[in-house]
Amino acid sequence: MGKRIYNILFNLHTVSGIVISVALYVIFFAGSFSFFRDDIVAWERNEQAVEDDHLPPNINAILNHIDNTYSLAGRDINLKTYYAERAIAVNLTPSKDSLATENAKQAAFFYLDPVSFEAQSYGDAYSLGEFLYRLHFFAQIYYPVGYYLSGFIAFFFLIAIITGVLVHWKKIVPNFYTFRPWAKLKTIWTDAHTALGILGLPFQFILAVTGAFFMLKALLIAPSVLALYDGNQNQLYEDLEFNKPTYAFLNHKLTELPNIEALVTKTSAKWSHFNLNEIAISNYGDANMQITLNGFLDYAVKFNAPGSITFKPHTNETTILKDPYLPASYLDSVKNVMFRLHFGDYGGYFLRIVSFILGILSCLVIISGVLIWLVARDRKNIPDKKRLFYNKVARIYMAICLSMYPVTALAFIAVKVIQPAGQTFLYWFYFGVWLLLSLYLIFKKDLKYMSDFCLIAGSILGFLIPLANGVFSNSWFWEQFALGNVQIAFVDLFWIILALLSLFAFTKSKSPVKRA
Amino acid sequence: MPANSKYLTQSKWQRFGKISAGILGGFGVAQTLHLTLAAYTSHVIVLITSTFSLFIVWAALLICAFLAKNALKIWGIYLAVCLVLSALIYLAPPLHTLPS
Repeated sequence: MGKRIYNILFNLHTVSGIVISVALYVIFFAGSFSFFRDDIVAWERNEQAVEDDHLPPNINAILNHIDNTYSLAGRDINLKTYYAERAIAVNLTPSKDSLATENAKQAAFFYLDPVSFEAQSYGDAYSLGEFLYRLHFFAQIYYPVGYYLSGFIAFFFLIAIITGVLVHWKKIVPNFYTFRPWAKLKTIWTDAHTALGILGLPFQFILAVTGAFFMLKALLIAPSVLALYDGNQNQLYEDLEFNKPTYAFLNHKLTELPNIEALVTKTSAKWSHFNLNEIAISNYGDANMQITLNGFLDYAVKFNAPGSITFKPHTNETTILKDPYLPASYLDSVKNVMFRLHFGDYGGYFLRIVSFILGILSCLVIISGVLIWLVARDRKNIPDKKRLFYNKVARIYMAICLSMYPVTALAFIAVKVIQPAGQTFLYWFYFGVWLLLSLYLIFKKDLKYMSDFCLIAGSILGFLIPLANGVFSNSWFWEQFALGNVQIAFVDLFWIILALLSLFAFTKSKSPVKRA
Repeated sequence: MPANSKYLTQSKWQRFGKISAGILGGFGVAQTLHLTLAAYTSHVIVLITSTFSLFIVWAALLICAFLAKNALKIWGIYLAVCLVLSALIYLAPPLHTLPS
């Protein structure tokens, strides 16, 4: 590679990296915790999920309960689990029967707890797990600005990854084995940046590409619709199988309502290891009532295995739309793989813990990158005014990034002290404390103090989290573990280990003056 | 050390030209390339593949724009490619739903 190309790529890497650094750090930090989104939700509410992310077995009781409050006749009903949470999402369309009551002509969406049969709106159901998950694509910023912002950050992250690898290409192998922690401060950051960057490279590349797609997919739809489909957007969705089938309402009452639990049992017997996560019922109680069961095989049995089957009770017809034991189509495989790779949810706790570690390593790559940027510009031959400016920028960046750790830990305690926390409280608390702590650290003007403070504060608060859970929710992790509530016990144990690690890092961190 | 600035684009107009060529022109080329492939082959397969390949191609084209010596030239190349591919899309036979 010529000197010109090298310098251009190097500059592109520096500029794209420094511009997105803080936002990317927030995405990676919040995103790493999002691997445990469902565990955090279960822990916060003290509600272990009934059957991971599948629908609970008592479907008939759930439907009866909804029928009593909402009157289901003539409606389309969708029961779905999006996450491994106890509550299921219920979506009801207005009844298509023209003689239905006013109440039955209203659409409804809510979450229903299959154990207590309590209904919750989205706002009521908002939790710290959801907050951190949404923070990782900036959903708190006015829609759709936050989505596009995070999408473009993922895209520029991809640019930084590619240019970083190209710049580093010749030295990938020798530098991987180089670690000089006792040399100059700059070599520590450089060695950490390159070694950890190469270690996490495949993981980061996948997250950047899939993340860009999730948030920027709207950019792809419009040109395809205009160029290939003559503006017929519906046909595109039809081809890509994003549309749900609709069935006509016959306005002819079904004599006997089907037993949906029996249909589920029948399907599970036909397809062993089938995990049902969506029931779509069209025209409830009508002659053209159709019941579609959607799900997938256990990931341990088959990775790409969507299953879909429709029953028509009036004629006893059964149609298999997708057999999970047959090879999945390329379309279904791509859709599934994009999500599975980004969410890391197909290999149990082991994969999610590995993903969390790689996510936090990526945070370290970002921080060391900012510090290289600073050290390379903090030299005697650079004018004082510029040096002051670079120092200030790095200080603000570091304060925002590092304070996220203690603030997140404090938020875990806050949701235990104040129950239920709710959306408004979480916004004010998290962003307020984050702002105050960042300002405090910026005014302290000391990077060393900043890192020490955040490590020790995060560690102390981390140790307090299982205590807070025990005191305020009367939920101690050994008891929860004995009860088989792994999700709840996991969060407590997770924080104890995190707190121990940051305490260890704090004791090992020495003054930089002696080393310089 | 920061990159040696003697190799970098100094003129503001040139820099603006390269950045815009990379972001807008690069997206245009990546998108029309995928649409052309979709128009002449199995469109469902190409469209769903583009959900990941488009961003990778776009990123590569963005980097290439910065390696160009002249911003106008790279804008010209990207625009010309876009136009040729758009003409191909226009001339393509109408979509037929292929068996998946």
